[in-house]
Amino acid sequence: MTGDDRWYEAAFVVGITNALNVVADGLAGAAMRPVEPTTAPPEVRETFTAIRAFYGRGDQPPGGGEIPSPFAIIAHDPAYLADVWAAVKRAFTERRLTRRHKTALAFAVSLTTRSAFGTAFHLGELRRLGVGEPGVMEIIGVTQMFSSYTKIADTLQLHSDMADIAPVDRSGVPDSGTG
Amino acid sequence: MPTVRLRDASEYPESARRLFELSRQWFDYDFKEPPAMSRVMAWDPHFGGPHGRAMKRAMAPGEFSRGEKEMVAAAVSGANACTY
Repeated sequence: MTGDDRWYEAAFVVGITNALNVVADGLAGAAMRPVEPTTAPPEVRETFTAIRAFYGRGDQPPGGGEIPSPFAIIAHDPAYLADVWAAVKRAFTERRLTRRHKTALAFAVSLTTRSAFGTAFHLGELRRLGVGEPGVMEIIGVTQMFSSYTKIADTLQLHSDMADIAPVDRSGVPDSGTG
Repeated sequence: MPTVRLRDASEYPESARRLFELSRQWFDYDFKEPPAMSRVMAWDPHFGGPHGRAMKRAMAPGEFSRGEKEMVAAAVSGANACTY
């Protein structure tokens, strides 16, 4: 995996995944009701429709269908929802990294951070994207083993001695436009 | 400063040094000294051996490539706030 663009994509997936998980898990037991699609204002319904389509739920009737909880919760501020959704969609859209790889990253990070929402949601997404049980087990294995290595390294306070073996990407910043 | 004194490869018994060759093959890189984690694992081959095999089995190409899995591993390390 050389090329900094791939690593930027991965970092944005990890970051925004954590952002969704924080809201979903942190507010799961709080007295804050999600916005219901059937009673949402038009601009929220428009965003909900885009969310359903992105997650393969576009065949559900207008106004119907479940919206992933972090989106439904932040929909109390329609403009905020629209911006967060735009960032999520951009992060997970297939570019240098595939959608399934990005979803695997999101699943691994959710599992690592013990996010009940994120783990279940991205596991469902992995399966929807065609990843079989062996593939899911591969990601669980990587997550588990590196959760071991990292704690061993931390306990012994080891310094990284492998970061420099990767080639350096000397290319410039790509112009992705302002849209 | 590490909690322990990491021994040079030459200080390890011959049986443990076999793990260093496996490490060199895995990373496909000639380290001056084996990576710190490899030296930690070689301290107790009865732990490091099966742990390393489990890691290699998890990292082997399957539905996801080795490269994709290395990135997942990096993300997991980041989520664990581990700089190693």
